[in-house]
Amino acid sequence: MLFNSGVFLQFFAAFLLFYWLVRNHLRARNVLVLGASYLFYGWWDWRFLILLFFSSSFDFVVGLSLGQLTDPRQRRWVLCASIVVNLVILGFFKYYNFFLASFVELFGRLQLPFLPGTLVIILPVGISFYTFQSMSYAIDVYRGQLQPTRNFINFLSYVSFFPQLVAGPIERASHLLPQFEKTVSITRPMLEEGVWLMLWGLFKKVVVADNLAPLADLAFGQSSHTAASVALGTLAFAFQIYGDFSGYSDIARGSARVLGFDIMWNFDLPYAARNLRDFWRRWHISLSTWLRDYLYISLGGNRRGPARTYVNLALTMGLGGLWHGAAWNFVVWGLWHGLGLCLQRAWHVHRARVATPPAPLTSAPTPTLTHTLNLTPTPTLRPMLRLLSWLATLLFVLYGWLLFRANSWHHIQSMTRACFHWSAPVWASSFALTLAAFSTPLILMELWQVRRRDRLVSLTLPPRWRGLLQGALLCGILLFWEKKQLAFIYFQF
Amino acid sequence: MKSHRCEFAPSEILPTLGWPLLVVGAFVLGLHAAIRFHAVPAPRPALDTERTILLHQADAAGKSPPGLPGGRPSLLLLGDSSCLTDVSARQLSDALGQPVLNLGTFSFLDLNAHARLVEEFVRHHGAVPAAVVLLMHPEALRRLDGEPFYMEALTDYLAGRDHCQTETWWENMECWLGLEAWRGRVLARCLPVPLAGAYGKRFGFNRDLERFLDAEHGSVVDPELQPLTGSKEYRLAPGLERASARFRAAVPRGTKLLAGITPVAESLAPRSFKSQRDEMLQRWGQWLHADGLLATLPAQWPDDQFARSTHLRESAVSDYTKILARALRDQFEQRAAAKGGL
Repeated sequence: MLFNSGVFLQFFAAFLLFYWLVRNHLRARNVLVLGASYLFYGWWDWRFLILLFFSSSFDFVVGLSLGQLTDPRQRRWVLCASIVVNLVILGFFKYYNFFLASFVELFGRLQLPFLPGTLVIILPVGISFYTFQSMSYAIDVYRGQLQPTRNFINFLSYVSFFPQLVAGPIERASHLLPQFEKTVSITRPMLEEGVWLMLWGLFKKVVVADNLAPLADLAFGQSSHTAASVALGTLAFAFQIYGDFSGYSDIARGSARVLGFDIMWNFDLPYAARNLRDFWRRWHISLSTWLRDYLYISLGGNRRGPARTYVNLALTMGLGGLWHGAAWNFVVWGLWHGLGLCLQRAWHVHRARVATPPAPLTSAPTPTLTHTLNLTPTPTLRPMLRLLSWLATLLFVLYGWLLFRANSWHHIQSMTRACFHWSAPVWASSFALTLAAFSTPLILMELWQVRRRDRLVSLTLPPRWRGLLQGALLCGILLFWEKKQLAFIYFQF
Repeated sequence: MKSHRCEFAPSEILPTLGWPLLVVGAFVLGLHAAIRFHAVPAPRPALDTERTILLHQADAAGKSPPGLPGGRPSLLLLGDSSCLTDVSARQLSDALGQPVLNLGTFSFLDLNAHARLVEEFVRHHGAVPAAVVLLMHPEALRRLDGEPFYMEALTDYLAGRDHCQTETWWENMECWLGLEAWRGRVLARCLPVPLAGAYGKRFGFNRDLERFLDAEHGSVVDPELQPLTGSKEYRLAPGLERASARFRAAVPRGTKLLAGITPVAESLAPRSFKSQRDEMLQRWGQWLHADGLLATLPAQWPDDQFARSTHLRESAVSDYTKILARALRDQFEQRAAAKGGL
């Protein structure tokens, strides 16, 4: 069931009615949420409800076991079982044919016979999200950061909560699970936030992302490329994927807010980032924090020396790329960001060393390297440096999107080479005009949010002006509402 | 334990929900008023490849004829998509030494639609073309009815009406809210629309496709290669006789009507297809009361000359156009010899 569909609107309206009817019964509410979430998920393919139920139930039992067991070895085995089961499920459905095809190609290049049969495997929607969410519960219980819940309904509801089930955010149990165990309050500000986020999220999806999708398809689908087509196509895709994914996340958070629940922000104006680390603190926050807390730190983080730190960074980002899809270009994209983060870290380490030179052996003052190199920016230089670092970050991220969106290694090569081929296709001006038209509302809103450092700055407007703005968004949504809905990009992850 | 507490009064949230709806209401009223008082342009919903071509051809026939070298077109090509893609009108113009305009469209428009285009041409130009050449593919001749969506799109466009579909409740809602009107009158005119699939790869946007159509005097090329599929049974559809008579009635007196059938791929041609094709052409020509039949056009061509079952590849268009030019020249010379020429 897509958020940008008439079916979902009817579903949500009906759900709100039943939600109001069960307002005096906590348990009934949770049963309602569970039932509605399973209906939401099963609308796509009811058979995969079994998988969702199995994954959730397994980790519920794991949580209970970890709560009972005291022997560290046994607890480790139980945790391993959870991780293995979840990763096997994920690995089979998502990566079986991918790795098989890769092995076939590798063996082919080595001229060794290897011709296994492939399986027709349907990728269950949202599997990457709910398996990670379920795993994080088990790991948090193991680490003693969370008490296991004994309420099966609550746990199933936490894993399958429909606003965030199929494309995140990947919620932590410590944040979402307690909300199922208590009475939630729905205040006017929450409702206003919820309505705003749902409208803005739908606008980003229906108006921005869905109208930029054909542009990205057009540019990336060319048989030959030019610098202009690569640049325009990459920009179109950058806005498309942001509008699509952040739009979904906003609708998820907004619909949860309307129900009185709080789920995390998944995006924080990522294209305003001035360095890569900042970017990953703003983009797909739930995944990046999950990878940091459960993968990077588990690998040792930065506690095992500089060389190992860089390896951990690269590995984490590479696997993060692989999480996005069963294709090598996603891995390359992840490694590209890993490389960028490593370089940024190395630069910071270098700067820190240079900025604090060792104490002089003589008493006579010596000019420090800081002064020599004038590393302290002047007030005039500071804005320019900020702009340059923002631009450098954006260009790095944009090239990453080229890697992400390209169809193959050959495609990446030809598009990269084309960046140095200074010409434009005949449709460049039409493309630029359409791109500008659909990205401008998004850019203006984000600039406003960045200036005010408030993602919900629109809620500070007087009611009439806010109503006008929301009305304009609603008009845009209606105008571009397609009969045939385009799925969210992250549904395929 | 309670599930949730609503810490607001219903009246508090009315502005949150009410204001956006008010704005939408004002927008809808404003749009309808703008349409009523002609404050927005006439509809031109060139929102996909098919409608872009269709509306371009309608404009070329009527209110916005392309500026052809040599002036007003004296020869019109009409027919299905095989007419649109198999013939280069520009090359034909050069070969015949007279301006040629290709008004070919699609097989999902019937002969009534083609007749409308002729009528539009006559109405807007105030003069009759010297000749109308009707080219159809055997696939199109065995079907009669066009697709209602495109038939209505053309009719509504020529009448200056918004093209609203009212099959589902949402489509009704779109019409009532004026959304289709907005898309067709404002959006389609303000923003270029990216074309899907192979047309997008080749032409980019609807405006770029229209520029190509202008430059090629209404012809286009099929940019895609698709497997050749179809049935080897060819026949004239029942009801084609009546439709042909209607088309003939649209062709003004003094204009020569010539009919031809575009080739099929060899693998899709039954044995002795040429004689079958000639028979079909004869009978169809009688129904049309055609002034001449282009019987020297090839009945079939090698498979590798086709982009798909009904369209030639771009590389084959030049050769086919030369053959068509020869056939037309023969017809004109015969007429000239019989009656003193065009």
